Amino acid sequence: MAKLHLAEVTYAYSEEPVVRALTLSLESGRFYGVVGPNGAGKSTLLKLMDGYIRPQQGVVYLNGRDLRSYSLAQLAREIALIPQTSYYFPFTVEEMVLLGRTPFYSRWGAPSARDRRIAQASMEITGVAQLAGRLVSDLSGGERQRVTLARAFAQETKVLLLDEPTNHLDLEHQISTCRLLKERSRQGVTVVAVLHDLNLAASFCDHIFVLDQGRLVQEGQPGEVFTPELIAQVFRVEVPTLRHPLTGRPIIAP
Amino acid sequence: MRRVLRRVGGALFLLFTAAVVATALGSVNIPLAHVLGILAARLPGLGELIEPGWSPAHEVIVLRVRLPRVLLALVVGGGLSVAGVLFQGSLRNPLADPYVIGVSAGASLGAAVGLLLVIPRGIVGYGFLPLFAFAGAVLATLAVSRLGQRRGRLEPTSVLLAGVALGAFLTAVVSLLMVLRIENLQDVYLWLMGSLSGRTWSHVSMAAPYVFLGLALALWLAKDLNVYLLGEEAAHSLGIDVQRVQRLVLLIGSLMAAACVAVSGVIGFVGLMVPHALRLIVGAEHRRLVFHSLWAGAVFLLLADTLARTVFSPLEIPVGIITAFVGGPFFIYLLKRGSDFHG
Repeated sequence: MAKLHLAEVTYAYSEEPVVRALTLSLESGRFYGVVGPNGAGKSTLLKLMDGYIRPQQGVVYLNGRDLRSYSLAQLAREIALIPQTSYYFPFTVEEMVLLGRTPFYSRWGAPSARDRRIAQASMEITGVAQLAGRLVSDLSGGERQRVTLARAFAQETKVLLLDEPTNHLDLEHQISTCRLLKERSRQGVTVVAVLHDLNLAASFCDHIFVLDQGRLVQEGQPGEVFTPELIAQVFRVEVPTLRHPLTGRPIIAP
Repeated sequence: MRRVLRRVGGALFLLFTAAVVATALGSVNIPLAHVLGILAARLPGLGELIEPGWSPAHEVIVLRVRLPRVLLALVVGGGLSVAGVLFQGSLRNPLADPYVIGVSAGASLGAAVGLLLVIPRGIVGYGFLPLFAFAGAVLATLAVSRLGQRRGRLEPTSVLLAGVALGAFLTAVVSLLMVLRIENLQDVYLWLMGSLSGRTWSHVSMAAPYVFLGLALALWLAKDLNVYLLGEEAAHSLGIDVQRVQRLVLLIGSLMAAACVAVSGVIGFVGLMVPHALRLIVGAEHRRLVFHSLWAGAVFLLLADTLARTVFSPLEIPVGIITAFVGGPFFIYLLKRGSDFHG
């Protein structure tokens, strides 16, 4: 059974649908990349998977159950989302990461020792443990992104959705973020990332979804998907693709 | 738990001390011991044991004049500050204040209608003034929260813009009324500046329930507000019903602010400055922020009001002038500091 399944999903913010009759399936333990030109419906797709918006037609299934049958609190234990825009109030790094544990304790309660252990482990994985007492509002862009990642990891969900997680990051942090996501997927998590950098997608993802104008144009392993023909068709530019001499994965070389 | 009790105890002690000292100060200074004695004499059981060593005039000043005013300063200061926390949080904007969604403009119009059109004709008495102001504030708030919706969802930016636009419109109506009814101009003008002068127990009992209820609800929603600060989508994925929290928080903040402004007029800057300063000191965690803003706002307004009635004694200046006098430079400092929450 697929972890997440979208069946003929259509969504429109106003008149014109941004996602049209989309059908796709995602398995556990895989790292999925969603690519496509601006306005292809990538972010909308993530919001549909997260239940933030509901399809006007079609159904999103999580573990074989209609997403709409889950309560908000149940969903928070199943799916974590890192949206494109984040706000950084003066929380300490530790407080911010602990916010990822909020679905697990009550309104009047406080994080348990277990919650704190999980938050600590997440901070160590993402390399922000030494920043625990600092204010997120004082951190650099790359550090904030890793704190946000630690928060999502602390939520310990089986599905992790990320909207352009590598935006505004330098090369080192782009690569370390993708490695962390890949590792996460190897632990059984379904990771879905909207990526603008096709080369990052080609190097790290197991499976690529190519969207254009709200439709799924192509899907498959990076090697099958990233052909000069497809890139010309979807992104409207002519670029050659090469093969990586070590990994055999495609390299888009404009 | 013990730490929480110690903090709450500390805050209560501070508020009590500030209240007693402020009650002793004024055009007639009353010894602290007498203030404490007058208060203790009112306690059931303890009252009979105390020999009154003070003049009856002092007792009247303490119980009828100063104490209600001091308590009202605490209630309004705390209420405006907590309302400020709620507005800054729910609009994710550090420059939002309790008046941002038209509360003050609505209250002003309500008060102006009362003072210029209804009360002078003897239809109702001055005691009804807070009700006019409260009704105006609530109506304006409802209008802004309707105008601030897009596709059925409240959006912080739309709410802010709608608040500013409606505020400008209502202020223009108030000015027009003032020009047309120039004979009662002074009443309205004094009200607009904000003052706690001449307030009685009935004002305290009108504002206090809203402030206490609002405080309880603010603490109840603190956890949701923390998550809400991460942004709508992130908060949703952490299990928060974003629209519900936003509506509730705006509603609670508006009612608190409306009740405060109804009894004291438009006292600016308390609800802007106190939460902001406290956020810099204790951080954005809302349970802490609400608690510290409450006592700090209460003490700040009490201090400002005590200055307002003692500095140029026997002349009294509206407390709004003092808070703005401190608040204006602070606001500029905030702008210079570049206080933007956005990534």
